[in-house]
Amino acid sequence: MLAAAIQPLNLNVSTPIDAPSPARAGMAASAVDVRDVTYRYGDRVALDALTLDVPAGAVFGLLGPNGSGKSTLLSLLIGRREPASGSVQVLGAPLSARLRARLGVVFQEPSLDSNMTVRETMALQARLFSLPRAEARRRTDMLLERVGLADRAGAMTPTLSGGMKRRLELARALVTKPDLILLDEPTLALDPDSRQRLWQHLLEANAEGCTLLLATNDVYEAERYCRSVALLDRGRLVAQGTPAELKHDLRRDAVRIEWKGDPAPEAAAMRSWPGVGGVRVAGSTTHVTVDEASPFLTRLFQSSGDRVSGVRIEESTLEDVYFQLVGHGITPRADGDAQPEEGA
Amino acid sequence: MSQIEAVAALLARDLRSFFRSRSQLYSSVLFPLMLLAILGTGVNDGLDPKNITDYVTFLTPGMIVMTALFSSTFSSASYYQDRDSGILKVFLASPHSQRVVLLGKTLSSVVIGVAQALLVLAVAAAIPAIHFQWQYGVAQSVALTVFSIVLLNLFLSGLGQLLASRIRSMQGFHLVMNLVLFPFLFFSGAFFPLHDLPEWLKLLGRVNPLSYGVDMMHLALYADGSDGYFGLPLDFAVLTLLAVGVFYVGTSRGVNPDR
Repeated sequence: MLAAAIQPLNLNVSTPIDAPSPARAGMAASAVDVRDVTYRYGDRVALDALTLDVPAGAVFGLLGPNGSGKSTLLSLLIGRREPASGSVQVLGAPLSARLRARLGVVFQEPSLDSNMTVRETMALQARLFSLPRAEARRRTDMLLERVGLADRAGAMTPTLSGGMKRRLELARALVTKPDLILLDEPTLALDPDSRQRLWQHLLEANAEGCTLLLATNDVYEAERYCRSVALLDRGRLVAQGTPAELKHDLRRDAVRIEWKGDPAPEAAAMRSWPGVGGVRVAGSTTHVTVDEASPFLTRLFQSSGDRVSGVRIEESTLEDVYFQLVGHGITPRADGDAQPEEGA
Repeated sequence: MSQIEAVAALLARDLRSFFRSRSQLYSSVLFPLMLLAILGTGVNDGLDPKNITDYVTFLTPGMIVMTALFSSTFSSASYYQDRDSGILKVFLASPHSQRVVLLGKTLSSVVIGVAQALLVLAVAAAIPAIHFQWQYGVAQSVALTVFSIVLLNLFLSGLGQLLASRIRSMQGFHLVMNLVLFPFLFFSGAFFPLHDLPEWLKLLGRVNPLSYGVDMMHLALYADGSDGYFGLPLDFAVLTLLAVGVFYVGTSRGVNPDR
């Protein structure tokens, strides 16, 4: 059953993604071209014959739960790991040290030197990438201004807030004017305001022709900002397309039900109801995707109305798509499937 | 050229970090001088060793070697800070090989170690109670000392880097460095001459790489002859071989930037 559910969606992925930013002159059509790549950690398969194409100029999301192979793929793309089989091309060529000069990376974990100032952090990156000094100074000034750190240029990095550190890491990745930026959950643990500001800077970079490849397990972020998304599960590509394409074949409505007690018996019964897609249980909440909400709700209140404490009809998300395809969710959350809030 | 620029950038960055760490800066120089004053005077006046006329001067080369030893240990441990802060990943994602990154880090360890050791030498030379013999002339003896300091630091920094890139935790690294290097220091001739020891201890001294650095410095600064010493040709040969070999291996091994 599960194997059948994991079959890739029959999406027309050859359809151009909507409005990719123009790629820079001389860039290959594909920013990342991964063919049949397999990678193992010992006996555990992290990437399983993965094939993926990231168009130049895209804002592309790798969406999947922890352990789905997102970070492993990014580490392959920066040359930290070698695939057991398959081929990886970045910016139209096999990865090489010279090619890494055209990449920017924002790691999932913090990656700042606590003994350096903001400006020194930028200067070191520029030097490592052989940027001429005048150009490095000009871009540093411009980027620090852009990410709101110009007045903190002389500050030691430990004195920055979490959001400022993330913006500095992004500015550092941008100082060398990369053609492709790899971002591993860049907004993890950021407050909504910092998250929105970071995305604003990322989209500015994309508008200037820089391809963004983002690994995330944040459904909202993938749906809100990525023009194309690849859903990964245990190192395999489950589906790829624009968020709209991915949701196209999904049952239309998502209903969230709060129960007065254990929802397990009702959840089990609902799975056999006509028009019901995925049924997810988290605590006292059930999240159900249905063809149409009205008949479902009628039946719900007829059968278990006295046990229901609240109902909310929501727009379907990529989490629902993922659940329908794979049989489990992306982000285990205490409250079921609460969406991160966008900043004011 | 860009690789030299990268090595220079990493070197400058580590040096800046070192100079910003005041406690490390001061303690690295004050500790050997304090030992010279306390241990040197204590043994010289309290124990009155029969075969060493001026123990404080005798001890000075040993303290210089010890400075190089501590310095390389601390500098190599910065690998763990870089790994844990995540900055090592950033370096390894640059357009340079691991070798270039490790070369920059290891060279900074060498430069810091050499600078500290030379500072201890300079301060020791200015202390009236220390009487260097300068048996090859002052300039040649200083050159010999500097040369041995450089070779020792190349060896120790390469060894430190080699161990740091193999041992997962900083605690484990310090444990191994202490376990390996303290016995090396004790049986290097730094604290007592090797030629009066029992045969089995002499043997330990002969297979100890630090002995050749101490020997070269004793010849340059303390001795007024070469009887009882390994001699400069052997010191040169062993130190050069070890310095080049271990530094090369230490900067060649792969590193894992993940915690």
